[in-house]
Amino acid sequence: MTFLTVARKDLMLYVRDARFLATLGLFSAALVLILSVAFGPIFRDPPLEAAATIWAALFFAGVLGLSRSQDLEAESGGSDALRLTGADPFALYLGKTLANILLLSAVFLLLLPLTAVFFDVGSLKALPALLCVVGLALVGYSAWGTLFAALARGLQARELLLSVLLFPSLVPLWIGAVKLTHALWDGGTIEPVRDWIKVMAVMDILGLALAGWLFESIQEAAE
Amino acid sequence: MNRNVPDWWRKGATWLWRAALVLVGISLAMIAFRAPIEAVMGPVQKIVYIHVPSAIVTLLAFGIAFAAAIAYLATKQWIWDAISAASCEVGLVFATVVMISGPLWARSAWNTWWTWEPRLTTFFILWILYAAYQVIRASIRSSSKRTISAVMAIVFFVNLPIVWKSVEWWRGSLHPRSVTMTGEMRQVLLFSMMAWIVFFAAVLERRLQLEWAREAAAREAAARDAAPGGFQPGAPEARRA
Repeated sequence: MTFLTVARKDLMLYVRDARFLATLGLFSAALVLILSVAFGPIFRDPPLEAAATIWAALFFAGVLGLSRSQDLEAESGGSDALRLTGADPFALYLGKTLANILLLSAVFLLLLPLTAVFFDVGSLKALPALLCVVGLALVGYSAWGTLFAALARGLQARELLLSVLLFPSLVPLWIGAVKLTHALWDGGTIEPVRDWIKVMAVMDILGLALAGWLFESIQEAAE
Repeated sequence: MNRNVPDWWRKGATWLWRAALVLVGISLAMIAFRAPIEAVMGPVQKIVYIHVPSAIVTLLAFGIAFAAAIAYLATKQWIWDAISAASCEVGLVFATVVMISGPLWARSAWNTWWTWEPRLTTFFILWILYAAYQVIRASIRSSSKRTISAVMAIVFFVNLPIVWKSVEWWRGSLHPRSVTMTGEMRQVLLFSMMAWIVFFAAVLERRLQLEWAREAAAREAAARDAAPGGFQPGAPEARRA
């Protein structure tokens, strides 16, 4: 299971880099704080504003994680070493995607109580459904993000270009995540907006399928 | 005139340009004099005869870029990369025409220049992505430029069906799902579409000639450098340069 080995390796490197984790956590928490101040102090629609805030913070902070996952390979000839193993490029991609999903899940778990406190939203009853929405959104975000991060590797102003590529492409995913989270925090059910699950699932499958098709070419270009 | 393209190509391109200019001229005359003035919106409605053909050409251009990008990844022949890059660039120009003509029409029809409704939002996203394509392609100096460009042309094309279907997928869309016209209005619209497609083909051909010239210049430079006494990195003249 090459992809699990790659994911484990990336996660170990993340965990060892306390400075990176602290930066990621503080940056995402600062985004929640800034947006809650911008919307407040009197919120018009707390579930909607809270949903928009948590997803905006997570998507923006996620760029740091995506860039870092590529930096790990650039340092000390990591990408050359990975290629020398002869592993399937798609397995490498899947491993990095899985590591990014887990990293962003940890960030989400940090932001969730912050958002709940600042906006006074959320209920334990809606938590299982919310975690399913988070899973759907993070699979898509990481699938597209890892693909674009590999594409932008080695380019000048990489973080800037990654944002320019990533955010417009992920608008359907972002809208879906906000609408579903809003519905869960507002009425405790996703029934009124359940069509967005299909949109998000299509985005997830599309991202993974495109990566399966194109990741090898991207790796060749990076060589 | 580009000396790198064959004679038959040059002659064909000349005729294509003549046809494009004549057709666009006739199309503009038809818009001005033949298309009836719409009862509610007045003359402003005639923007549709520019807006819709430009949108069709945009989709066509990005579709060609997508197909050429796949062909490049499969064959690694430079011509497919040239077609894809040229088509992306020309398509972006037509997309810009759509982005400008749309608000002009919307101001009269919806009483606002811009509204965040699905078709406008998704098309704006499409415009940003293809503009980013130009920036990224221009910023790559390495040999990976063509592969990265091809991957971008393929990935960005995924947004086209989203733009196309957005008015059906999202509720509350103001944008018309399709243009339904009859009589002279329909004739003028169809003629305009044909004229703009021929004009697009002519512009694409000219842009392609530029890529052709660039490729020839790069090959000549490579051959010169490889020849005895040619450019050698680290040589005194290279250091001065």
